Amino acid sequence: MDGRAAGGGRRKTESGRRLSRMIADGYLDLHRRANEGAFVVWIAIVVPAEIFAGFENVAYAVPESHAALSAGKGVGTVQCQKAEERGYSADLCSYARIDIGTAFDGGKDSPTFGLPRPHLLVSNNNNCSLLVKWFDVYRREWGVPHFIVDVPFCYGPQSDRDTDYIAAQYRDLIREIERLSGQRFDIERVREAVRHSCDAMREWKRFLRAAAHRPSGITVFDSFVQMAPILTARGTPALAEHFRLLADETEGAIADGRYPVPDERYRLLWDNIAPWHQLSGMSSRLAALGVNLIAASYTYCIGSLEGSVQLFPYDGADPLRYLARIQNFSVCPQGLALRFEAMRAAIGTMGVDGVVFASNRSCKVYSIMQMDLLDRVTRECGVPAVMIDVDHADARAYSEEGAFTRIEALLESIDMKRAG
Amino acid sequence: MDSVIETIRACREKGTPVVGCFPLYPPLELLHAMGLRPVVLWELKGIVKSTPLSDRHLQPFACSVARHLVEIVLSDYGAILDGLLMYNACDTLRNLPEIIERGLGAQGRELPIIKLHIPAIPAERTEASEYLARRMDALVAECEAAFGVHFSSERFLESQRRYGEMRALLRRLEALVGEGRLLYRAFSRINRFGYLVGVEEQVKRLRTAVDDCAAVSINASATIPIVVSGILPPPPAMIDLIERCGLRVVANDVATQRRSYGYQPPEDGDPGGYYADFYRRHHPCTTLLPTADRRVDTILSLVEESGARGLVFIGEKFCEYESLEFPHIEGLLRERGVSSLRLEMAIDDYENCAAFATRIEAFAELLKGGR
Ligand code: SF4
Ligand code: SF4
Repeated sequence: MDGRAAGGGRRKTESGRRLSRMIADGYLDLHRRANEGAFVVWIAIVVPAEIFAGFENVAYAVPESHAALSAGKGVGTVQCQKAEERGYSADLCSYARIDIGTAFDGGKDSPTFGLPRPHLLVSNNNNCSLLVKWFDVYRREWGVPHFIVDVPFCYGPQSDRDTDYIAAQYRDLIREIERLSGQRFDIERVREAVRHSCDAMREWKRFLRAAAHRPSGITVFDSFVQMAPILTARGTPALAEHFRLLADETEGAIADGRYPVPDERYRLLWDNIAPWHQLSGMSSRLAALGVNLIAASYTYCIGSLEGSVQLFPYDGADPLRYLARIQNFSVCPQGLALRFEAMRAAIGTMGVDGVVFASNRSCKVYSIMQMDLLDRVTRECGVPAVMIDVDHADARAYSEEGAFTRIEALLESIDMKRAG
Repeated sequence: MDSVIETIRACREKGTPVVGCFPLYPPLELLHAMGLRPVVLWELKGIVKSTPLSDRHLQPFACSVARHLVEIVLSDYGAILDGLLMYNACDTLRNLPEIIERGLGAQGRELPIIKLHIPAIPAERTEASEYLARRMDALVAECEAAFGVHFSSERFLESQRRYGEMRALLRRLEALVGEGRLLYRAFSRINRFGYLVGVEEQVKRLRTAVDDCAAVSINASATIPIVVSGILPPPPAMIDLIERCGLRVVANDVATQRRSYGYQPPEDGDPGGYYADFYRRHHPCTTLLPTADRRVDTILSLVEESGARGLVFIGEKFCEYESLEFPHIEGLLRERGVSSLRLEMAIDDYENCAAFATRIEAFAELLKGGR
């Protein structure tokens, strides 16, 4: 957590320092293992990385996470431009453009020197199908095999039939990695990894609960930053340990009366991916207005099933089936009704005053439905809401003044509502 | 276009439920076999000119196919529909059923919306075909419950024959376009009606068109042959522009055209078996994820076999599937000495094609120079 002490001063917390180390070490370790002969897999974020723990030496990289990091470090636009120069449309998801720009320029300008070349690409159409086409770009360019995991979109809770279908694909994936890498697979190691992930999610939820406190013990920017290792360190004991520290530290700060936005007058919710290029600028400008963006659909759904914000625990049974069942444990793969249910629960339990819908042309799956969600939130939750335009990773598609004009209009609506 | 709508309305009044299908490749034969009239909701610009209703639900970065689809269902035209069927064709389309449901609800209307998942993995993979077969069985049951119709293998085979004939006639007609006996503009118009008028009527129209143009001879020697590719064909005004520049479309890789009629599976009375083959061997399309490896070769052979000297991509703005494949295909064409031109159509461009004139003229000059 990049915490702010009471009074607004920024200071790096222990969990913040630890997070920086985890991320830096994670990428160094990835490159080292790749150099030493590990079988390298590139995955979409919703591909269950716990499966790779079942092998002796499979290292995985998450291009979406690398793209978010690049955007956060201010090199998103330059990488996007490289992809555009190669003919990739500026209308494509900026994660894809950052990744393609980085990969085809040998990792130049990347905060992590890019990612080591993969032996296998594993995409998943659950978050989005664009990702499958994005990985196909590398398949064609590098001749690397591409394994697609097909997940039926969830308009409602996942059916048993769908769980079985997804689990069968994981078994295919395991066979494919065995065949390509010559490594043996051990399901018990996956079971262990799933336990670690579940422990981590429990602590993650405890950390997020700090948002319900008044004033909130966290900002959404803390959860955006802290979610990074969920993508890159799933299935490890270090992840659970990190989130335990984070949750303890956050609860400790609340007990001591230290809050990130001490004079919190407006508690807002964010709907969409983090605006990675704006984390610092947006958080300080909002804090100056007495606004705390306390939570986001992007982070509160992690670890939960469709339409819920509660943890979905692991019962120790078949880990592949569990991993299939939690395919929808983040928000993108959820239909309108489910997303609304989760949002209503978040608004109710966290005492949200208003919602900022970040309409993001890069991410159609997340954004197309927001107009209806906005309508439902205002009508059915009685909470004012506003829509602003933000691309999550391409800073060129964001106007700070335009966004803040709308956010200020939202604050006025909240004031009017309070005045009765 | 109004006459087409009247045809659909008349068919409905005679007791045939009309099912609006989301693009791209819904199981038309199956719906037809159950006594339903499937209408594929694309190429709708001629029916709904603007999209005020859909604009209340979709941000401007949804593609024009999606916007027109939502518009037509929510508009008065939507009254000709008895139900909707969608499958997981793309990221934008998967969000639409619930949006439409709400839009209709706000008007006090309701339609059964059947959501179908077609496996997006190769048919050889464990469970893929079984999953599809189970889903097709469930689809039959859902249609029976929603529309009070019944399935029979015999009728299903009969529908396959009709659609098979329609696709064969379209392939034949496309070949006649290639020979210069029919203009691509006319071909596109005939093809488009097929999505609305029903297979029987379309077969009749196609037979006549094939007979008529087999007798025609057009001197095509002064023109340069090209292939067009995209989700939708170029709008008529753009085809005119292309032809005025001395280019002639001789073949296509368009989703509403060759990608739709390019392949006909062998007869099979079982929907699971028939559609496993249908999607497995389908003419490659950016939206059919497992066909990706075949697509490049298919386009290259299309260019080679048709003798085309260039390829024009009609990019649907905001269609990520298409955008992610263009650069690679462009590169391969370049390596083979085939020039390509990429034009991107936004929703309003369908009426303002003049803006593309300079680029098309320059492309034509380039091809002429290379003669
Ligand atoms: S389109 Fe959205 S879900 Fe897909 S990769 Fe981009 S940001 Fe992720
Ligand atoms: S044009 Fe592309 S984005 Fe639009 S509906 Fe078709 S496949 Fe989807």
